[in-house]
Amino acid sequence: MTTPLIGVSKSILKIKELINHVANTCLNVLITGETGVGKEVVAQNLYAESSRSSKSFVKINCAALPETLLESELYGYEKGAFTGAHKKRPGKFQTADKGVLFLDEIGDMPMPLQSKMLHVLQSGEFSPLGSDQEFKTDVWVIAATNHNLEESMRKKIFREDLFYRLNIIKIEIPPLRERKEDIPSLIEYYFRLYQSEYPDNLGTRPDSDILAKLCNYSWPGNVRQLQNCIKKQMILKSWEKIFEELPKEHPEIVSQFTDDSQQNGSSHYTKSGFQSDRTRIISEFVDLSTSSDKLFEDISLKKIKKLASDKVEKEVITFVLEKVGWNRSRASKILKISYKTLLYKMNEFKVHPPVK
Amino acid sequence: MSGKNKLLIVDDNDDIRSTFYEFFNSLGYEVKTAGDGLTALKLLKDKPNFFDCLITDLVMPNISGLGLIAIVKKEFPDIKIIAMTGYGDHPGALASEVKADSVFFKPVELINIENKVSELINPNNDKQ
Repeated sequence: MTTPLIGVSKSILKIKELINHVANTCLNVLITGETGVGKEVVAQNLYAESSRSSKSFVKINCAALPETLLESELYGYEKGAFTGAHKKRPGKFQTADKGVLFLDEIGDMPMPLQSKMLHVLQSGEFSPLGSDQEFKTDVWVIAATNHNLEESMRKKIFREDLFYRLNIIKIEIPPLRERKEDIPSLIEYYFRLYQSEYPDNLGTRPDSDILAKLCNYSWPGNVRQLQNCIKKQMILKSWEKIFEELPKEHPEIVSQFTDDSQQNGSSHYTKSGFQSDRTRIISEFVDLSTSSDKLFEDISLKKIKKLASDKVEKEVITFVLEKVGWNRSRASKILKISYKTLLYKMNEFKVHPPVK
Repeated sequence: MSGKNKLLIVDDNDDIRSTFYEFFNSLGYEVKTAGDGLTALKLLKDKPNFFDCLITDLVMPNISGLGLIAIVKKEFPDIKIIAMTGYGDHPGALASEVKADSVFFKPVELINIENKVSELINPNNDKQ
């Protein structure tokens, strides 16, 4: 089922009108907006209203895969194209033929793949890896990104020609804090949805005070964050707890959580008696219950260092992401690492946003 | 029905819109304007057989000039199209690809555009 586009704000009404006017043109669409605003929902609504709705909607996340894998996912490969290519596999351009190809996070697509993408958009032709045959494809390309592509073009990390080819129809979804009037209808929608999904859980609809509080919050993680809160409320059955768990408003985020971590850190060290807890800490990374010969063999400072730092990194990344409502671009700034590195680490440590 | 030629000018820049409006209006054209592609498309759908010529910028919010040209070519094939661009080669090349009848690069001379408009609308009338 397609999630409807919920909202009464001017910008959402305008987007609905735009979808209505362009869904049957099959012109390339670029959807922009912060993480969690509902870019995929807009893409699905375009698809549902188009004449292609009986064909497939194929999605690919351009940020989630390393370059070579992304290439083979998009274009497919012939048997023997590379080590491990035991049999021929069709790419997304082929499976989406006559339907929609949704390129999520297009702003993270590596440059070499951008050129190849441009070629397909220009000619409608592509060849799978390891094949010299060109295939025709008829896909409606809908791309989305949370990056400012104009800025990326200035930095020379996004091709200008590709931008203009995608930007035929531009749908900009404003963050939730700029369309607070949509919040009540979103709450009502998700409340009903989760009520039907979990009929045993008796969450309560917000009263007018709580609603006002919810409307005044800045929602850095946008609709997705709001949605998660409503879901959580179904289980916690307390709006107060929900408010306690919400990250503080934007400018305070950094100072607030550095304070927290320092406090937690120091209390942890004094309470547990850092020195006496030595074996407990070590046993997290090495099995201490074996013979000392075996143990000395197992102990490698390099290996333990990696395990320990991975563990801490994972916790810190999850902590920050939760604080900013899973807005990855904001989290990467706070963590002072690149957006790409963050995605790579999230993938490596299997850090995923809570399931919708 | 008046015998005036009817133009639709589309540009997200207010100054350009009003300059074009004044200029073509003073020359006896009936002119409507729109600040983005969606507004233009709605005007076109409201009056399907009204406009003779569309003059559009390329880089605009919501429906870009390129999108507008593609839609007009398909749905209103009789309307002549002039594209204007100020953003270098890429949108310009794309405008020819979607078959604008003519492409101008900004800054444009209004008189040149007027010549092109009358040439496109009345191809058999030699201008004196």
